[in-house]
Amino acid sequence: MQAAAEEVRSDSVGGLHELEGKYLTFALGKEEYGIGILKVREIIGLMEITAVPHTPSYIKGVINLRGRVIPVLDLRLKFGMATEEYTERTCIIVVEVQGESSAIQVGMLVDSVSEVLNVSGQEIEPPPAFGGSTETAFILGMAKIKGDVKILLDADRIIGTGELAGFDTM
Amino acid sequence: MAEVARGLSEYLDDMALNILMVEPGDLSVVGALLELTEQLVAEAGKQEGQGMILAMAKSFNAALQKIIMGELPDSAENFDRLGQCVVQMQEVARKGGEADEAANRLFRENMTAVGFEVEVQTAAAEAPEPVSVPSPAAPPPPVAAVSAPAKAEKGAAVDLDFLQDKDLLAGFVAESFEHLESIEVNILDLEQDPGNSDIINNIFRTFHTIKGVSGFLNLKKINELAHITENLLDDVRNGKREMDSDVIDVVLSVGDYLREMVQNVKDVLEKGPDAYRDYGISQFVERVKAVQSGQVEVAAPAVQPDDEDEEGLAESVADVSQALSSRGASPAPAQAAASAPAAARAAGPARSRIGESIKVDIDKLDGLVNAVGELVIMQSLVRQNPLVARLADPKLNRDFSQLGRITTELQRTAMAMRMVPIRQTFQKMTRLVRDLSKKTGKTVDLIMVGEETEVDRNMVDSIYDPLVHMIRNSVDHGVQSPDAREKVGKPRTGSVYLRAYQKGGNIVIEIEDDGEGLNTPKIRKKALERGLISEGDNLSDHEIQNLVFLPGFSTADKITDVSGRGVGMDVVKKAVEKLRGKVDVSSEAGKGSIFTIRLPLTLAIIDGIIVRIGMERYIIPTIAIQESIRPKREEYNTVYGKGEALMIRDRLVPIIRLYEIFGVEPTHTDPCEGLVVVVENEGVQRALMVDELLGKQEVVIKSLGGYLKDTKGVAGGTILGDGRVGLILDLASLLAIERGSAEAASNEEGDMF
Repeated sequence: MQAAAEEVRSDSVGGLHELEGKYLTFALGKEEYGIGILKVREIIGLMEITAVPHTPSYIKGVINLRGRVIPVLDLRLKFGMATEEYTERTCIIVVEVQGESSAIQVGMLVDSVSEVLNVSGQEIEPPPAFGGSTETAFILGMAKIKGDVKILLDADRIIGTGELAGFDTM
Repeated sequence: MAEVARGLSEYLDDMALNILMVEPGDLSVVGALLELTEQLVAEAGKQEGQGMILAMAKSFNAALQKIIMGELPDSAENFDRLGQCVVQMQEVARKGGEADEAANRLFRENMTAVGFEVEVQTAAAEAPEPVSVPSPAAPPPPVAAVSAPAKAEKGAAVDLDFLQDKDLLAGFVAESFEHLESIEVNILDLEQDPGNSDIINNIFRTFHTIKGVSGFLNLKKINELAHITENLLDDVRNGKREMDSDVIDVVLSVGDYLREMVQNVKDVLEKGPDAYRDYGISQFVERVKAVQSGQVEVAAPAVQPDDEDEEGLAESVADVSQALSSRGASPAPAQAAASAPAAARAAGPARSRIGESIKVDIDKLDGLVNAVGELVIMQSLVRQNPLVARLADPKLNRDFSQLGRITTELQRTAMAMRMVPIRQTFQKMTRLVRDLSKKTGKTVDLIMVGEETEVDRNMVDSIYDPLVHMIRNSVDHGVQSPDAREKVGKPRTGSVYLRAYQKGGNIVIEIEDDGEGLNTPKIRKKALERGLISEGDNLSDHEIQNLVFLPGFSTADKITDVSGRGVGMDVVKKAVEKLRGKVDVSSEAGKGSIFTIRLPLTLAIIDGIIVRIGMERYIIPTIAIQESIRPKREEYNTVYGKGEALMIRDRLVPIIRLYEIFGVEPTHTDPCEGLVVVVENEGVQRALMVDELLGKQEVVIKSLGGYLKDTKGVAGGTILGDGRVGLILDLASLLAIERGSAEAASNEEGDMF
């Protein structure tokens, strides 16, 4: 999956047709983000989260998703944004990505969920080069729809197991 | 620093366990060991201040490679010495990687004895050997020769197109493993009941099936070996030849060798052609033929580099390539595919009791167990709902208790589905004892009791290694030689009992021998030398005997009566504790020893005490808890530079402030106002500060998901009665964190005072 994303990025001259499809969009601060609908398992309201010690600050803890224990990460913290009070619109998007041995489900805390959008290839542009690498690593592309810009995220990279290797040193 | 050494010593522990498993000629285990060594080298290279271990690991790695390549003999003695080398590395790791001349010298001596010169990379001639074992140049014992593979070469530049026939080959691999397993079981049955023609037929059919399928797949060598063995068995079947121990030996070793060859086919499938190794079979062919023609062989020929080496390599490379690409050319793949399962059915397990059973995907089973767990929780949630509770309707109450009974029953059944009899693991021990007693020249009977006892499926594999170690220990060191036994008035044949039974919520496995027992005074002396106990300690014999499980106990000059390859019993203890079990030994001088392993019934459920700290709830495994107390003021001590401790039963037990480690706001910050729970892990006692005990409960352990699985201090999560997730403490890693932070804290305090 990551390899595919890689390919897309390197071959990013024209419109990004490989990326077209349905996206679930959600808000984080003033920005709108999108995540591939095929990665999304479900959307649940905010529930009580049990904190897990010795994890990075953006890992809020774990929740009970119908008998499964899954981790929840706060996208605001993950992206280095200021935290906000959780509201009744705050929700958890449960995404599923392929881990090393099996599929892993992870919840992502977002300000609010907006809609499911059909994004065509012409509307997508490659991520801008800000210079810094960490921020854009999660970004598949930018979708320009009716004047708005939505940032398309790469769920695999956000959850990416590579980054978790750093856990042990905590 | 503590963290660093921990990573390395984990590898070393695994290596220690692995090296115990090695039988001469058993390349698959050596392969696993090599892999671990390489990981160790990589890990040590990454960390600073581990140069000592890095150098040692590199030498070890090189020596191991030489053994695999056949440049050094893969004899039992050599593995014993390598075991010593691992012990030396453990010793260095325990000291945090600092240069330890004594360990280094021992390491070099052992390496030299193996025939490997540290630094000067040549196979050296004999060197002075500190321990009185036969010199490395001595011919390997017969058993080693029997199963040792002729030189296995790595196939270089093999161009294999294995996409075409992968499915068929994979099917063959899986099937063959099953068949080979059944050979072993059948042969062992046959020893009990010689002449049972059903069993002989079963063994025959197994080889027949392997022969057939491998022939079709063009795996010539496997085919040939299976074929001649089949011929031999055919003679036995037709009464042309007696089924005697010669036949049994050769069939068993052919079975082992076939397994290795099949394993290699599997490796090629998984890792690509580079994994390919060539296996010479000529000596097996000769041996089988010799047995068939009735020539009683004294000992199998010592292993020589395979005479058909070069030609063999080319030929077998061709074998596999053909095998892999034969699908297209093959006249009737469909027919073969159809006939293979049919044959498999015919050769299925014969003597074992056949119950009606189906195979179920383990994920589905886990899903069921999860769902049932949820059901139980939901049921109690509904019942505790204030509105429902207020109804006070007798019928509703009756219905609820009925529902409770049903769900409990359902849960029990779901759990039982993951249980399998321990029989298979035990049966492997029969083989081990048989081999060991041949090798050591002792006669030992293995008496098994309670093979039908059921254990968690996930646990079966993990108890195998410690069990092997302990059985080996009992046969090697417990049971005396026949002559020595006669002198003390025991029957010449020693007995080792292997028992399994359920007791309370535990599975108990006992290994009892009627040998000479542990030498308690010697252990005591050793423990004093190593500073594990002090002169004034008033320990019972039982307590002293259990010191053998302490790490680093049998290093340096080893106590041969209690230790295997110089690798301590601490690896057994660690392996058992990983399964949340306990191990114990009791022994009577001259009469024998009993090792007892106590394991939880299942890995999925844990008996825990729920504690509260501030707003959070945590679960502490009951097995680790010794007591919980409200400390008195006078029991509380601060130790300068070391932190705080409680005086509990004349022992100073350091306090861990859990809320600090977990970063929660506690109700009490004074240990004398809250409670402490005294826990023990690997012989280390600690008092955990908590606010309140909420109760005892059996909880279902759930992984925090691959994402968080390595979180320190936490073993997993569980769903509590109110639907929230509670974290289960992992004492081993928790105590490791605490040691790390205690060092930091002691530095700070030093500044303050």
